[in-house]
Amino acid sequence: MRSSLTRRGLLAAGSGLAATAALPAVSGCSSLAAAASDPDTLVVHTQLGTTAPGSATYLSALDRFRAQNPGLKVKNLINGDDLGQVYETSRLARKEADVVMVNLYDKTLAWTDVDATVDVGGYLDDWRLRERVLPAALSAWTDGKGRLRAFPYFATNWPVAYNRALLDRAGVDAIPTTGDQLIAAARKLRAKGIAPVTVGGNDWTGQKLLAQIIQTFLTPDEARHAYSTGDFGSRGAREGIEYFTTLRDAGVFADKAQGLTSDTMNTQFNTQAAAAQSAMSSALAKVPENVARHTEVGGWPLADGAAHDKPTVIRAFTLIGFWISPNGVRKIEHVEKFIRFMYGPETVARFVQESGRDMALHTDAVSADFPLVAAAQRLGSGVSEVLLPDVYVPPAATQPLITATSTSFTRGTSAARVRAALESAYRSV
Amino acid sequence: MKLGRRWLPAHILVWTYAVLLVVPLYYFLASAFKTNDEIFAHPFAPPSSLGLHNFRTAFEGADLGLAVVNSALVTVFSLALTLLLAVPAAFALARSTGRTAAVVEKVFSLGFLIPTFAALFPTFLLAAATGLFHTRLFMVLFLPATALPLSVVILVQFMRTIPAEMEEAARLDGASTFAVLRHVYTPMCLPGIATVLLLNFLTFWNEYLYSLVIIGPDPEQRTVQVALPTLKAITGTDYGVLTAGTVLTLVPVWVVYTVLQKRMQQALVSGAVKM
Repeated sequence: MRSSLTRRGLLAAGSGLAATAALPAVSGCSSLAAAASDPDTLVVHTQLGTTAPGSATYLSALDRFRAQNPGLKVKNLINGDDLGQVYETSRLARKEADVVMVNLYDKTLAWTDVDATVDVGGYLDDWRLRERVLPAALSAWTDGKGRLRAFPYFATNWPVAYNRALLDRAGVDAIPTTGDQLIAAARKLRAKGIAPVTVGGNDWTGQKLLAQIIQTFLTPDEARHAYSTGDFGSRGAREGIEYFTTLRDAGVFADKAQGLTSDTMNTQFNTQAAAAQSAMSSALAKVPENVARHTEVGGWPLADGAAHDKPTVIRAFTLIGFWISPNGVRKIEHVEKFIRFMYGPETVARFVQESGRDMALHTDAVSADFPLVAAAQRLGSGVSEVLLPDVYVPPAATQPLITATSTSFTRGTSAARVRAALESAYRSV
Repeated sequence: MKLGRRWLPAHILVWTYAVLLVVPLYYFLASAFKTNDEIFAHPFAPPSSLGLHNFRTAFEGADLGLAVVNSALVTVFSLALTLLLAVPAAFALARSTGRTAAVVEKVFSLGFLIPTFAALFPTFLLAAATGLFHTRLFMVLFLPATALPLSVVILVQFMRTIPAEMEEAARLDGASTFAVLRHVYTPMCLPGIATVLLLNFLTFWNEYLYSLVIIGPDPEQRTVQVALPTLKAITGTDYGVLTAGTVLTLVPVWVVYTVLQKRMQQALVSGAVKM
């Protein structure tokens, strides 16, 4: 029964061989650490690359960049919503990517302050790229201490899309421009079994629409104060909340809006179950052709005494930008090549034409294949702009505000309770 | 055999249970062939086409082939290391009768009390300090550590059921301690080993948080659970593609589960006959 020496020898040799073969495989001959420290490899950490809008254009741009720079390897790391967490832990271990492509939102608001990324203002000037960027984008990406957090890249228009065919079917003659017209239109639409305005009351789309409606009675400075401090006690903020609850209780929003998400919102609009939605460019680009051809874009209807003279839209310049990490500073000549390439007129035009993206850079390109995106770009001075609150909301209040949004979209919740929910989101700040 | 009316409630319950299991599975598989609009507008309608476009998009977009290989590497080596450590540990604890052994066994059981999330930051620090951050090797070393409490507790219970006479007989034949483990305890504990393998396989394969933070997003190293969420976008997810990707990653789980479940049943039966 005693094991023979031969068998033991075989077992030992087998184990040794397996370990020898396995350890390099699992410890990473191709580990990120090696790539990050390789001076000839540029590591880019991005949310583009799979199914996010613009991914195909980005991947093809990367291929062209590689072809133009044969001596430079580019490693592309992709994460979705969890990019912020992954980047932060990588940074703690000093193994972060050289360039990060992500929005200015939530966690990323603190990155420049805690040296997770560097001020890129100097590079923008040294590389003579400042004139390529829209002034509003530069302003949005600059923090309170005058530091430019990242190279602006994507922007978005955030109009309201109205399905003209559904409005006609319900007997609504014109796109509503006032709250009363919107309520009247909602009643007619509901009588025909059509949801009036669909919205993701349980996520960021609801949060943005709520902010947009509250800003009906706020000047930009007042809005900045409210969303920076969580003080919604001003007269304008209280009137904005009242306006929101009036619309909500009059049935303007789709049923059970407090439980809907951006996906259900887009689907309700794209399948013509709902007549209107507040949608950013990337969502407008995905509206099917049979719906897009009888869809018009406009602003959110105003109420009496509003601080704006035209229906409102959100215009944001803080979508994906190029952040440079401390590791990236060590390879700054590669980073410069990459950003110069991405800022090139041809690359920028391709994002507009192929993916229907709005850009934070000057370009003459038009999203001809994406009629609603192009229509939103043409809205110009026909609408009034309100702030995107993302840049002003402290990171600790971002998620609690989403929860407060869901409470706000629940029918019957009083204006006072909506205000209390919004203000309590800032308690942990 | 004709069943009486008293069996009717049992039949109803069994069929209800079967439907409860089949409906989500059908919804899941059908969604893999649909567009977003079809999924949300007609969730339970059969797909209008059985084209593999969603599967191709998911496989290529998230580089799932490489991710499956990475997951397989991490899972297989972690399972091997878990067994390598748990079987001798359980063998020693099962045969010991002293107080020290009882204390050591309780220490293993204490492992259950550590919440997974609470260990994340210390584990990250350890990975960074050892220079194994952003490597699969760290996960191969770490996952067995998390699996040992349950594995040892299960195996100890199995080994305690083996009669002492079996070991005594082997000793009389001149067997060493290793030979007793190799030729007596291990074959007789195959049901327990199969159970440990199955439970840990599911845990290791599905592990997300630590793989995300420790291994990271590098496509050459990331596991399938890290690759899959890249198909989700904050500005609009294509659920057909995401579901198709999920189906693809579940195939290895289904295969292993089926094979190990059979082995476990065979081992149970043969173990009973031998005893």
